[in-house]
Amino acid sequence: MMPTGRRAAGVLAGGLALVLAAALSPAGVDGRPVPAWSWAIWIAVFACALRVFVRAGLPFPEALRRAGWLVPVVAVFAVPAALLAPAGARGPVAAALCCRALAATSMGAAVATWLGPSGIVAGARYLRMPVRLADVLESTLVSLAVVLRQVRAMLRAREARRPGFGAWGDLVSRPVDTVRGFGRLVASLLLRALERAEALEQARRARGGEA
Amino acid sequence: MHIPDGFLSAGVTGVTWATAGLGVAAALRAEKTDSQPMPAGMLGATAACVFAAQLINVPVAPGVSGHLIGAALAAALLGPWRAVIVMTVVLAVQALLFQDGGITALGANITDMGLGASLTAYAVASLAGRRMGSLRGLVVGGVLGAFAATVAAAALTGLWLGLAGLYPLRPIVQILFVSHVAVGVLEAALTGAVLATVARWRPDLLRGATAGNGPAALGAIVMGAFGLAVAIAAFLSPFASLLPDGLDRAAQRLGFSARAAASWPAPFPDYLVPFIASAGIATAVAGILGTVCAAVVAWGVSRGVRSADHDAHR
Repeated sequence: MMPTGRRAAGVLAGGLALVLAAALSPAGVDGRPVPAWSWAIWIAVFACALRVFVRAGLPFPEALRRAGWLVPVVAVFAVPAALLAPAGARGPVAAALCCRALAATSMGAAVATWLGPSGIVAGARYLRMPVRLADVLESTLVSLAVVLRQVRAMLRAREARRPGFGAWGDLVSRPVDTVRGFGRLVASLLLRALERAEALEQARRARGGEA
Repeated sequence: MHIPDGFLSAGVTGVTWATAGLGVAAALRAEKTDSQPMPAGMLGATAACVFAAQLINVPVAPGVSGHLIGAALAAALLGPWRAVIVMTVVLAVQALLFQDGGITALGANITDMGLGASLTAYAVASLAGRRMGSLRGLVVGGVLGAFAATVAAAALTGLWLGLAGLYPLRPIVQILFVSHVAVGVLEAALTGAVLATVARWRPDLLRGATAGNGPAALGAIVMGAFGLAVAIAAFLSPFASLLPDGLDRAAQRLGFSARAAASWPAPFPDYLVPFIASAGIATAVAGILGTVCAAVVAWGVSRGVRSADHDAHR
């Protein structure tokens, strides 16, 4: 079950503390050897992340798969750093950076999976996030589901009108069409979203909500 | 350009979180004192659109695609400080729910793509737009602002990664500069396309670039221009030529260079910071410190001149 209020704040704060501990443990980037306690922290945080994934209702293999999705993101930064490290230290630096980033990122992902969008907002409010920022975050998450559904529908409709070409051509072969098409799509998305938000605001005020 | 968790040092994480915190606090304060309040729902809808627009990949060539970043678009629609709030929320959603960018690196990502990109885009767009006037000026300003914002954000990203000790500063700056000039051109084209369409359909929505001449707007322009100057200093100072300039060369040829002596010991001789071992990072840090010093002195002098003017007119 998704925690709310004080419990959500506790999960969020605890999760963020573990992310911080994993992300800031030394990984030998400065040329010094990786301390043993760094490896211990990364293993513990990663195990904790898997436990939180399972607590959020995911079966263990799915939890492992979720953590595995994060490997390419981590590798994009870790591989160049390892290649630029001194010749003898490449392997250890790559391994340490991958473990550090994977442990921290998995923990963040696990906490987000457990709390869900509304749990994160509730936790953040409880932890005294500025009210205005929390309001905007909440309304973004509310709008997001609608906007993403609309984007998919618009891209599908556009593709249906131009069979065989995808939603549009590419920038090299059809630059004007592609850029203009993108402009129209995003502009109409923007107008629809703003008009919907305006209508919701008017309805809220009509029911006696504060300006 | 999103930095994930685990790639920044504790020092850089602390500095970037402090910078982001101050910037977001300034944005919330400017927003609170705005004479035309905007409901949170409108800001949320714009943030959701920026988020969705980032998901629409535009094919650049076979096998390569790009997407909008959106800071310049948000600044043109909402003004600089609201754009900072919107980009902060977008980056927080990406980090928390989609693991696109790290949670500990969120301070760096907000500083680069929230503060740096939004304020730089606004400063460039506003200056260009005011010069040209009309809706076309707003669109052209938005295009220039989008390019400048992308390059400035990339410069800041390279700077954090270099200062964290993850990569040598010079190669990472070179890689980010070359790749993000192309990304900047794409960002400028996509931002221009969206702004041109909005200008044709609902020109009243482009109120961001003309958000007024109040202290908040002026502060955003000054901070944006300052951010751009710092980015240029960080980006270009490691590329500075080591060859002597015209006067040095003449002094060497005519044999009086040995007589050159400093009147007092300089804190950063030859643009190097004594406590930083890496020459590339030391030059970049010296460039940034020099820019900060110049800005502080210029601000102090302008305040002094203004108060002297004020006294003379009384």
